[in-house]
Amino acid sequence: MADLYPSIAQCAVVATAFKVLLFPAYKSTDFEVHRNWLAITNSLPVQDWYFEKTSEWTLDYPPFFAAFEWILSQFAKVADPEMLKVYNLEYDSWQTVYFQRATVIATELVLVYALHLFVQSSPAAFKRPSHAAALSILLSPGLLIIDHIHFQYNGFLYGLLILSLVLARKKSTTLASGLLFAALLCLKHIYLYLAPAYFVYLLRGYCLGPKSIFHIKFGNAFKLGTGIIAVFGAAFGPFVYWGQIPQLLSRLFPFSRGLCHAYWAPNIWAMYSFTDRVLIYVAPKLGLAVNQDAVNSVTRGLVGDTSFAVLPEITARTTFALTLFFQIIPLVKLFLDPTWDTFIGAVTLCGYASFLFGWHVHEKAILLVIIPFSLIALKDRRYLGAFRPLAVAGHVSLFPLLFTAAEFPLKTIYTIFWLVLFLLAFDRLAPASNRPRIFLLDRFSLLYIAVSIPLIAYCSLLHQMLWGNKFEFLPLMFTSSYAAVGVLGSWVGFLVVYFTS
Amino acid sequence: MAGPLPSPHKPRRKPKKSSNDSDVSSAAPPATSRSSSAKPAYPLAAFLWPARSSVSQWEILPLILMAVGLFRWAAGLWGYSGYQNSPMHGDYEAQRHWMEVTTQLPVSQWYFHDLEWWGLDYPPLTAYHSWLLGKIGGIIDPSWFALHTSRGLEDPTLKVFMRATVIISEYLIYIPAAVIFVRRLSKHHGVNTWNAAIALTAILMQPGTILVDHVHFQYNTVMLGLVLASMSSVLAGRFMWSCVFFVLALGFKQMALYYAPAMFAYLLGVCVFPRINVSRFLGIAVVTLITFALLFLPIFLGAMYDTHRGIDARPELFGHAAPLPIFTQHSYKIDYTAWYYPIIQQTAQIVHRVFPFARGLFEDKVANFWCTLNVIVKLRNYPSELLQRASLLLTLAAITPGCFVIFVKPRKELLPLALATTAWGFFLFSFQVHEKSVLLPLMPMTALLAGNHGLSKNTRAWVGFANLLGVWTMFPLLQRVDLRIPYYVLSLLWAYLLGLPPTSFGVYSQDGNPSWSGFATATLHSIFYAAMGIWHVAEAFLTTPQGKPDLWVVINVGVGTVGFGICYLWCLWNLVLGSGLLDSSQSEKRKAKSQ
Repeated sequence: MADLYPSIAQCAVVATAFKVLLFPAYKSTDFEVHRNWLAITNSLPVQDWYFEKTSEWTLDYPPFFAAFEWILSQFAKVADPEMLKVYNLEYDSWQTVYFQRATVIATELVLVYALHLFVQSSPAAFKRPSHAAALSILLSPGLLIIDHIHFQYNGFLYGLLILSLVLARKKSTTLASGLLFAALLCLKHIYLYLAPAYFVYLLRGYCLGPKSIFHIKFGNAFKLGTGIIAVFGAAFGPFVYWGQIPQLLSRLFPFSRGLCHAYWAPNIWAMYSFTDRVLIYVAPKLGLAVNQDAVNSVTRGLVGDTSFAVLPEITARTTFALTLFFQIIPLVKLFLDPTWDTFIGAVTLCGYASFLFGWHVHEKAILLVIIPFSLIALKDRRYLGAFRPLAVAGHVSLFPLLFTAAEFPLKTIYTIFWLVLFLLAFDRLAPASNRPRIFLLDRFSLLYIAVSIPLIAYCSLLHQMLWGNKFEFLPLMFTSSYAAVGVLGSWVGFLVVYFTS
Repeated sequence: MAGPLPSPHKPRRKPKKSSNDSDVSSAAPPATSRSSSAKPAYPLAAFLWPARSSVSQWEILPLILMAVGLFRWAAGLWGYSGYQNSPMHGDYEAQRHWMEVTTQLPVSQWYFHDLEWWGLDYPPLTAYHSWLLGKIGGIIDPSWFALHTSRGLEDPTLKVFMRATVIISEYLIYIPAAVIFVRRLSKHHGVNTWNAAIALTAILMQPGTILVDHVHFQYNTVMLGLVLASMSSVLAGRFMWSCVFFVLALGFKQMALYYAPAMFAYLLGVCVFPRINVSRFLGIAVVTLITFALLFLPIFLGAMYDTHRGIDARPELFGHAAPLPIFTQHSYKIDYTAWYYPIIQQTAQIVHRVFPFARGLFEDKVANFWCTLNVIVKLRNYPSELLQRASLLLTLAAITPGCFVIFVKPRKELLPLALATTAWGFFLFSFQVHEKSVLLPLMPMTALLAGNHGLSKNTRAWVGFANLLGVWTMFPLLQRVDLRIPYYVLSLLWAYLLGLPPTSFGVYSQDGNPSWSGFATATLHSIFYAAMGIWHVAEAFLTTPQGKPDLWVVINVGVGTVGFGICYLWCLWNLVLGSGLLDSSQSEKRKAKSQ
């Protein structure tokens, strides 16, 4: 296929030009977080990395990410040594901004390479759809908003994830895929949510024979086992040696945080909180008890600690049990049918389960669902039907991350541009399914997409005009409830597609 | 920018086969191989590649408009002219101040108010435009345009508002005009819609306009858009509308005068050739006069109403009358109490403000003839009257050939070239030229991309050369306010999209039939691109020798002037070729070769 235009490289060039123009854009506290980590890793011995707390933004990513920051800090010296001082809080000279923004763009090359490999490795008949999917990830508004405006290194990390997923496609590189994923876990532990799918896939597809599960491939199992131990050893070994593991874990897993994040991520718990809010007014009529303390916390949804007035409290244990339960269901199918497509489906569903039911979920975690799903969204029209509401809901739910006036047109126009372009292109590229389509799902997604337009208009413009600065939680609540419906709907839809194909 | 699109859907319209250059954007496949092996010749064609056959332009157009809008807005995140630069600030403050003046003061005082602080010196349409924007902005935050206290305001929300006004003005005027112009011109030449979409994107991504309007800050696209609308009315054969738009362009920014001789020559030409058409002439004349009258009417009515209310245009004189700024020696003949006095007073003041004859030949370092000549001969030593006369004569000499050609051969497809030729003539030789005025010749020249063979290597090479040289001469202006990065990003991006140096030398490869003109173009352009590249390195890393702090700027000006002179000659030559005035058998051969 010669006519895969525009090529990934061409898109990367133009996207880079756009991202460089975004250098002076709004940047969140994550910018200072990463500057602080550059300073910590550069100026302190490794033993102190996880103890340093001059800044409130302490190091809370696993050791490989700290090492990554250390490598970046070697270049940062050239740009502006002042940013490498731990006490230089909130330091943002233009050299610092340019440097940190540039590192995000440069490390994103991993993503470009991974996507290139993804298109290369897909079968000839799927080259064009895969190419379109690859471009949709490369130009994703999620990555643009989170990485290049808000500030994080997701392009790099998701690049590694895709690289690992692509390597899992061929038998010869499955081992590399597993080890790369282990390394990814040592970069950012959020990917633990996807680990069950990897575990099952590697176990069934790599360590056990294709015919029978009692035919154990000891050689493969040994290679994988020692490889993973080596990767984790390299990451955590020194900290075990210094006896710092409890401190490290307390940094990585801060359980003191609440059920919902500052802004409600569009998941089950957002809907649960929303229901609880409504019940406060309804409960007295139904004769239910209302917890007055909870009612009085007016700032609900804006502080970490969520407590419920009518509905029962949710514990961390409950959320984990639910997450694991909904992860295991698709894994059963993966165990029985360890093909690459099923594997990607299972990874996606693990992402869904963790996002929908997890504890203290951040809205940025939606990428954990969207990005793996994009790889198979064009398999046929039924997949696309489930993908569409997710694409809309997931990206709309990221809007509250940027609240400054100057970035408003960027986030909305870019997202609309991306949705129009790729939903149109996908619509033409996805082959028809050989199974009957799910009528309701199609209509649901169309209606759903249509609702997003008045919603965005209300939340971004009308609310301000009607109410001024009152009821600031309303747009946030509408956005997350709306997005939660979309994510949940697409999850149910995808579950159906996954189990019937 | 676009995903691949084979299509299960029926194409809305059949791709046109009749076009005579449907393949210029794709490398022509060798006759032996199948056409499916064609590939895009430059990245912009690749981005629109999936839209080649079956995509409706109602799908592609919104995407193009969104994409170019995103680049504009992102570029606007950078600083503007005069940002954190007290005491006078810059163009941004001028525009903001005009909104303050027009919304806070009676109409009669607009052109008189404190002229030392960015006094209004653009024609009335700009004043009305400022008034409208100031009214809207005043609703959002009255402190932005409060009289006196808002001077030099650097509120970040105000910046967002100001940036938005530039974009909205552009999307209401320049962009619809460009879309319609490209559609009409490409239809006129039988260029297919896919190539037209490429040309449109290239025109809208022009680095110069984005850098000057959306980064450095001004509303040039309003004036340029009105001129484009005027050109596109000509294409549609609606001469009266074309006059209306052109007068509005003049009424927005007097710089549109650069185009006026060619426009006048063309409109006169269509009234005389092939046969004299008196009714058309009268129609054009009457419509022009009426438009001018309507343009000034609000100012006159406002001034008369103010007199009626007892508000003086110049309250600082405490009721005393001052002589007029122009025709001062005849002022005494006028009755200061007559009902028509406000009209005369306003007209005189507007003319005086809009055409600053009193200023010197050139103000800043600008890449035109006078500024370059000044390096060799110190022009300061000559009387300014002599210089003004010389400037007038040279300008007339530069614009006459182009105007003559378009007058005797008033073909509508030649209009962009004629406008470009006269605008180059003005830019090079007239006085009081500003660096940013290079946008004027660049606009019609870039519009050539939508015409016949517009995307061929030769045209792309020349249009690209003019544009990249144009932004390069604006670099000193931009770097003064720390806008190097948007300059590099936007100009390199445009060069990349169109396959131009320094990103690619593909436009100069002559596959098949090498010609002397092609070779000369390649050599000439290469010398200039090399000079620009070396200059950038030198400017960035070398300090100027002692006593010559302006050395880099002077070199920039010199190289720019020569390059622009070449662009002028190229436009003129193509205008003459296109007019068919040289059509003997010999020159026809030459014409075929050069295209």
